[in-house]
Amino acid sequence: MKHISWLGVGFLTPALLIVGFLFFAPVVMTAVFSFTNMSTATGISGGDYLLSPNNLDEMQAHGVSQKTLDALADTTYQVDDHGLLLLAQEFGTEIANELKERHNNDIFKNRGELERALKDMKHRIRSPRDRKKAADLFGTSILNQRFTSKVDFITAVIQTGAVQADIPAVTSVAYTGWQWTTNNFKRLFSLPATWRYALNTLAYVTLTLVFNIGFGLFLAISTFYMPEGFANTFRTIWFLPRILPPVLYVLMWKWFTWDTGFLSTILAPLGIPAQNWMMQTSTHAWVTIILINGSVGASLGMILFSSAIRSIPASMLHASEVDGASRFQQIRHIILPQLRWPILFLTSYETLSLLASFEHILLTTDGGPGKSTEVWALAAFHTALRNYSGNLQYGYGAAFALILVAIGIAASLVYMRLFNFRDLVSKPRIER
Amino acid sequence: MKIELRNFTKRFDGQAVVDNVSLTIESGEMIALLGPSGCGKSTSLFSICGIHRMDEGQLLFGDKDVTNLPSQKRNVGVVFQNYALYPHMSIFENIAFPLVVQKADRATIRRKVADIAELVQISDLLERKPANISGGQQQRTALARALIRRPDVLLLDEPLANLDAKLRLEMRSEIRRIQSETGITAILVTHDQVEAMSICDRIALMQKGKVVQLDKPREMYANPANMFVAEFLGNPPIRFMPAELHENQMIAGGAALPRPQHLKQSNLPDKINLGIRPEHFGPQFGNEISGHILAIETQGRENLYDVALSDGGVLCSIQPANDHLNPGDTIQWGIASQHLLAFDGQGERI
Repeated sequence: MKHISWLGVGFLTPALLIVGFLFFAPVVMTAVFSFTNMSTATGISGGDYLLSPNNLDEMQAHGVSQKTLDALADTTYQVDDHGLLLLAQEFGTEIANELKERHNNDIFKNRGELERALKDMKHRIRSPRDRKKAADLFGTSILNQRFTSKVDFITAVIQTGAVQADIPAVTSVAYTGWQWTTNNFKRLFSLPATWRYALNTLAYVTLTLVFNIGFGLFLAISTFYMPEGFANTFRTIWFLPRILPPVLYVLMWKWFTWDTGFLSTILAPLGIPAQNWMMQTSTHAWVTIILINGSVGASLGMILFSSAIRSIPASMLHASEVDGASRFQQIRHIILPQLRWPILFLTSYETLSLLASFEHILLTTDGGPGKSTEVWALAAFHTALRNYSGNLQYGYGAAFALILVAIGIAASLVYMRLFNFRDLVSKPRIER
Repeated sequence: MKIELRNFTKRFDGQAVVDNVSLTIESGEMIALLGPSGCGKSTSLFSICGIHRMDEGQLLFGDKDVTNLPSQKRNVGVVFQNYALYPHMSIFENIAFPLVVQKADRATIRRKVADIAELVQISDLLERKPANISGGQQQRTALARALIRRPDVLLLDEPLANLDAKLRLEMRSEIRRIQSETGITAILVTHDQVEAMSICDRIALMQKGKVVQLDKPREMYANPANMFVAEFLGNPPIRFMPAELHENQMIAGGAALPRPQHLKQSNLPDKINLGIRPEHFGPQFGNEISGHILAIETQGRENLYDVALSDGGVLCSIQPANDHLNPGDTIQWGIASQHLLAFDGQGERI
């Protein structure tokens, strides 16, 4: 027995690895990313320590004391080799050597003191303007200096005379790498755009689903009553949207709706001005999106419902006919009630896949016009992987995605409950 | 209502499944379409209820020609072999369905369903789903649904085939009771001759798309038109043996027998086939034929004996049960010659 059970684990391993790498790992990584502020600016590895003048305002907002801010903003003047070299180039080596002799490594609190020191020298610089210029060569500020190690940065901050208590806040602001944060979610729930995306998603999923199921049912039932050969041809045609590569499929829709495209051309003789039927208004965009996604889903519904209808015993349909039921009554009383399970199944399946799908919207309206068709998944994509500012906010985008994952899992659990999942997999749901 | 089928032909892919059949069923009569599988009996039934279109011929319900009416407009009740109950509806809804699609009012529906449920004795099951009742109860439900509109004709397609032996006996008499109580003309399609003989007024025996004989059960059993009919009716089946006719005697089964009264005509062929039913062969009919017992089958009340005759033929005999004989024993039995059935070389009755 022991051998057999290990054999089972062995056989399962490839599947487990695939589930682990392809499903579990992405979810975990999304969750991890969503609690960071990763973006193009921070990179996804470590970072340096750098304070810019802009950071000073930011630090003030974080409650860093004014004294520290002043200290950081201050420029100090130290006689060092770097400055001396520059001085020698501009004002001669004698002056440089004398300054080195007298004041090597001395720190001057401000430029005036250094200027005075320069004035007091044997080879002094006569013009005050030149002295000022020479003094500037020794000015150093912590601002705009890049430190690769945290220790170096803190040392430099202490040297400026910053208050000890402010150092953690200063360090945190100066860090250019990514950091752990919950700000993504705070930001998400505070921005009105978020709710717009949520409503868009709700509208997209609901309307597409209604179209999917309704049209799928219509196709399945109408082809059921057609002669076999004709019905098969018809079904194959309606299956094209699903087997066509999305890019090609969308391209055809674009040809169809462009202002010089099919629709505009055939409507021109009727006096309707040429227009972009896809992007003219947000209504146009919505109708297009629902038709495009709906047709893809409807083909699946058609196949699923068709096979379900055909598994209804012929004698039951005959019975309803001799019982006097018309076609319509047969559909309403016999066929539709027996399609209950396939309809429920497709509804749940399509809800989940529509929630996460955005490729057709991306390829058609790309969320436009404006943000009117920007759905949640597309917003996540735009935030994290493609946006106009060029700063890709991986962390923020992951927060979008994580919420989608949470909704998806919750919906799956509800559906499993609803379907009594164990029953569903254990026996066919076409009632006999 | 009187049902009349005139020169009915049905073809599938150019092959005639039912070939020029004419049949008249009197009002209130129950007739059986009996035959082996593939004889066209179910096809006939489906054509009468309108599921199949007739390729040729005419169908009359009373004086009304319904040949070209769809099944919805024919007012027929059908009980399907698998009952074809609607699984998503309760028993009440199943029975009420023909009235619901007619848009009858609620009170009428309730009253009629209650009446018919009482007739078929399922009044206490109306709230259940078909999956939760027994086969016999499903059968009764299907009957009730078929009868609720008071159809012009009730069509039963192998209604007892899916029941176990005990239920089959019970439902057999139930179907007959319900049919005669309602007085509805009925057609029963079956391959089971016992079923057909026990409950039907007349039997139409079909073979290869044609009606071979149409008669009362008793008459058909006693006077089959040919060897096929003779063999199809009766259990255990009739046995045949060749016979040579001479002036005053005939040679059959390795014995010389007196030529029976009803085979005295002089225009008969010399060589004929004799059909002998098991109840017409045994010790009580004399001792002209000798043979030995091949097998004994005990059925409780009766014993069946397979007897090998001296010329190699085999006859079957049915007798009250006893323990006198064993396989291998030699016997000297006789034949009830007045019941001998004679057939010519083509199998037609002489």
